[in-house]
Amino acid sequence: MGYTLVYTQVLEFLPYLIKGAWISLQIAILAFFGGMFFGLILATVRTFGNNISNKIVICYVTFFTNTPQLVQIYFLFFALPEFGILLSPYIAVLLGMTLNAAAYLCEIQRAGFLSIRQNELDAAKTLNFSLFQQVKYVILPHIMRVLFPPLSNHYIIMTLGTSMAAIFGVEELTGRAFNINSETFRSVEIFSITALIYIVITFIATFLLAIIGRYFFKAKIRIIQ
Amino acid sequence: MPQIKIKSINAFYEKLHVLKNIELNVSKGEIVSLIGPSGSGKSSLLKMLVGLLIPKSGKIYLNENLVNFKNQSDLRTIREQIAIVFQQYNLFQNMNVLKNVCIAPTKIQKRDPKEVNEQALNLLEKVGLKDKLKSYPDELSGGQQQRVAIARALCLNPQILLLDEITSALDPELVKEVLDSIRLLASEGMTMLIVSHEMNFVKEVSSRVVFMDEGSIIEINNPRNIFEKPKEKRTLDFVSKILKEK
Ligand SMILES: Nc1ncnc2c1ncn2[C@@H]1O[C@H](COP(=O)(O)OP(=O)(O)OP(=O)(O)O)[C@@H](O)[C@H]1O
Ligand SMILES: [Mg+2]
Repeated sequence: MGYTLVYTQVLEFLPYLIKGAWISLQIAILAFFGGMFFGLILATVRTFGNNISNKIVICYVTFFTNTPQLVQIYFLFFALPEFGILLSPYIAVLLGMTLNAAAYLCEIQRAGFLSIRQNELDAAKTLNFSLFQQVKYVILPHIMRVLFPPLSNHYIIMTLGTSMAAIFGVEELTGRAFNINSETFRSVEIFSITALIYIVITFIATFLLAIIGRYFFKAKIRIIQ
Repeated sequence: MPQIKIKSINAFYEKLHVLKNIELNVSKGEIVSLIGPSGSGKSSLLKMLVGLLIPKSGKIYLNENLVNFKNQSDLRTIREQIAIVFQQYNLFQNMNVLKNVCIAPTKIQKRDPKEVNEQALNLLEKVGLKDKLKSYPDELSGGQQQRVAIARALCLNPQILLLDEITSALDPELVKEVLDSIRLLASEGMTMLIVSHEMNFVKEVSSRVVFMDEGSIIEINNPRNIFEKPKEKRTLDFVSKILKEK
C-alpha cells in the first residue's frame, strides 16, 4: 500500500463540511416534520376514513414503501419537468423525502392510533374528562410513549438518507465531500471525516431523543443499540 | 322515592339486543346486587347507567330527573353522581397509582389538590396499597389494580357507586375488608349496584338481589329468598349451579 493518510490538507475543509452537515440536518428535520404532518393526515384517513379513501392511502403507502427513495426523487426531479413542474434539486429532495417519510410515518402513527385503549377512554369519559382532557391526559401520553422509539429511529434513518441529495447536486454534507474529493483526491481522509460527522450528528440526535423520550414520555429507549 | 329509576330500557350493541325491557328502582343507601350467567348483560347495565351504552328506548330517572343521554350536560350530571369500578379496572396505564386516584378530583372536580391528596392517601391505605403509590398499573397484580380502581371511584365522593365483579380478583381476607367498607359506605347513605359471582358476598351485603339472564331481569328478590326459595325456575337453576360449583 503506497497510500499515506494526510489529514492536514483536508482539515482545512472542516468548517465547509460542517456547514454542509447543517444543510443535511435541515433537510432531515424539515422532511421529518413534513412527513409527520402528512403521515398524520394519512393515518387519520386510514383509521377513520371510508373504504375508498382507505384504498387510496393504502396505494400511496404501498408505492412509497416498496420503491427506492432514490427512484422517487429521480421521478420528481426528472419526470415532473415534463409536466411543466420544475423543482430545484433542494426542493426535489426535500419533497421526495417528505412524501416518502409520510408513507412510513403514516404506518407508525396508525399503529399508535390502534394501540389506544378503549378501556381507558371509557374510564376517562365516566370521570367526565372533556375530549381535550382525554387527548391531553390519556391519548397523547400513551401515543407518544408507544411512538417515540419508532419515530426516533425513523428520524435517524432519514438523517442518513439525506446523503442522497448529493446525487442531485445539493451541497449538503455528502455533496460537499464530493466537491472536496474532486479537488484534493484525498478520498479516504475526506470520507472518513464525513462518516465521523454523520456519526456525531446521529449520536447527538439519538441522545437528545432518548432523553426527551424517557423523561417526558416514559418511552423505553436505549441510547446505544 | 327511588334514587335511580329504570323504566323499560332497551339497549343494543349493533344488532345484539343486550338489555331487554329492564325495569329497576334503587333507593338511596340501598345495595343491590346483580347476578346472572356470563354474557347476561350485567356489565352492560352498569355501563348504561354511566352513559357508555346509550339506550334505544325507555327512560331513566336520577333523583327524579329524566336523563337525556344525548345531552352532554345531562351526561356530565349523571357522571358527577355515579362512579363506576370497571370489571377490567380500566386504570390509566400512563399514570401511577396516586395519579390515577387524584386526577379526576383535582382536574375535573377542581378540588384542592392537598385535600384530594390526603383523601387519596387515606383510601389507598385502607385498601392496603400505601406502599404502591408510585407504581404503574402494569406493575400491579389484578387484585391490586382493582383496589386502585375502587380507591379512584371512592375519591370522587359519588352518591352512587357501581361495582363490577369487585370480588373476583381479591383474596378472601380482602373480600372481607372490602365488604366492611361497602357496608360502612352504605350506612353513610351511598347507593350501590354490585355485580358479583361471590354468592356469600352477595348474601351478606345486599338489600336486594337482581337475577339477569340473556339481557332480561328474571327475578328481583331479597338475598335470602333468591338463594333459598327463588320464584323463578331459571333463578333456581342458576343459583343451584353456582352453589354446586363451590
Ligand atoms: N362493546 C361490546 N360490543 C359488542 N358486544 C358486546 C360489548 N360488550 C359486551 N357485549 C356483548 O353483550 C353481552 C352482554 O355482555 P356483558 O359484558 O354485559 O355481560 P356480563 O353479564 O357482564 O358477563 P360477565 O359475567 O362475563 O362479565 C355479551 O353477549 C357480550 O358479548
Ligand atoms: Mg361483566
